[in-house]
Amino acid sequence: MADAAPVTEDELRRLSEFLYRRTGMVFTESKRYYVQRRVSDRMAVTGATSFASYFARLRSDIAGEIEQFINAFTVNETYFYREEHQLQCLTRDLLAERTRRRPRSDAIRIWSVPCSTGEEPYSIALWLLENWAQVDAYDIEIVGSDIDTRVLGAAAGGVFGRRALMRLTPDLVGRYFEPLEDEHWRILQDIRDSVRFTPINLVETAETRTQGKFDVIFCRNVLIYFDDASRRVAAENLYENLAPGGFICLGHTESMSRISPLFDVRRFNDAIVYQRPERPHG
Amino acid sequence: MPLIRRGGGRSPPVEDNGSDPERLLRDGTSDQRWAAARSLAGQPQAVDALGGALSTESDARVREAILTGLARIGTPASAEAIVPLIRSEKADVRTAALDALRLMPRALEAHLTTLLKDAEPDVRVLACDLARELPPPVATRLLCALLAHDAEANACAAAVEVLAECGEASALQALAACAERFADVPFLVFSANIASERIRAQAPARDG
Repeated sequence: MADAAPVTEDELRRLSEFLYRRTGMVFTESKRYYVQRRVSDRMAVTGATSFASYFARLRSDIAGEIEQFINAFTVNETYFYREEHQLQCLTRDLLAERTRRRPRSDAIRIWSVPCSTGEEPYSIALWLLENWAQVDAYDIEIVGSDIDTRVLGAAAGGVFGRRALMRLTPDLVGRYFEPLEDEHWRILQDIRDSVRFTPINLVETAETRTQGKFDVIFCRNVLIYFDDASRRVAAENLYENLAPGGFICLGHTESMSRISPLFDVRRFNDAIVYQRPERPHG
Repeated sequence: MPLIRRGGGRSPPVEDNGSDPERLLRDGTSDQRWAAARSLAGQPQAVDALGGALSTESDARVREAILTGLARIGTPASAEAIVPLIRSEKADVRTAALDALRLMPRALEAHLTTLLKDAEPDVRVLACDLARELPPPVATRLLCALLAHDAEANACAAAVEVLAECGEASALQALAACAERFADVPFLVFSANIASERIRAQAPARDG
């Protein structure tokens, strides 16, 4: 990492505003170290000798710097079968409701956003194969999306280290992964073919609309990075992306009720989830 | 083992419902009005269309989208379109309006001076709560002005509550005067004293 001069208060504000307008993510003075470290990294990579020259490069999006800059600010650490209780809820309750009045062979669509390096959408695929008796009766389309285009490439590659697999039994790893060198494993081609990865900015309505409607959305631990206004926009986007009666699962510290009144709260044995009403509230 | 058969899946995109959102916002179905409000969100030239629709919209979902759209515009004009809703007799409408106004503190400031002098005490109480979103020096100035003159104990109590959270040392004199003016209202004297204590305790940290 280059030892760039510390960003000033004004520079931090300009950077934060730029990032906010692009992503809805908020970085205040309390995150100065986090911002400084990433700006220094990007300045080193791009060869910028001052904040002013780097910021000019960023605003002009030279060599796709905006995308690289946003990628540097996203958090990507996760693992398979994280918050397993929600996966239990998916197969015990959510899919039972979603398929109750639908013909077999119908399409069931599940969205993992943000999907990071693929652990969550692949977890959903494995979980369904292992735990949902009707898995062969429906076409199940799983889409993984993230604003960080770097991680999408890694997600499609499907290679994971030991830490990402720590919650999976050796039996599951043996049946669904092929071992590589250096304590890494690649998830089987059939599973990789079951998940489609797309770049998405959750606060850009034109982008989220391209994904169509889903039966279940997993949107965990991302809304906490947005300010109140961006959270509302994201919530309305997610509402549009749910089929009427569809469900959305948030992270365990998040509550849609504090963001938007558009959704109903549903309490199941394994999880609290939010539902787009079959008909809009009057 | 693949979960999806060849040719399956792929839902069509979510439709944005046409190219004349202002007309659809007035005359469309609720789905069309929802989509139209979302299409106009954040566009300063759409304030009149969104504000006009807000005053007549009966569908809570569409109203929510209009409020988000106006909040994203975030100008005094878009705040002005929302302000009348805080007088609504329906609690959910008032709450929705207040939530939207909280998202636009810079635009809100232009209206708070007036709202804090409103003839209706309930509006003044709600306005005090909105002042919480402003920078502490601005909130302190506006709420102290209310404390100096407001005859309604509940409005003053609302101002005191906010000052206890974000008031600056310049509020101490107004709080003392308020406690004196309402000497026969024990809860308000108590609240004003607590607020003063908190401000004194926090002042060194804020100044530092």
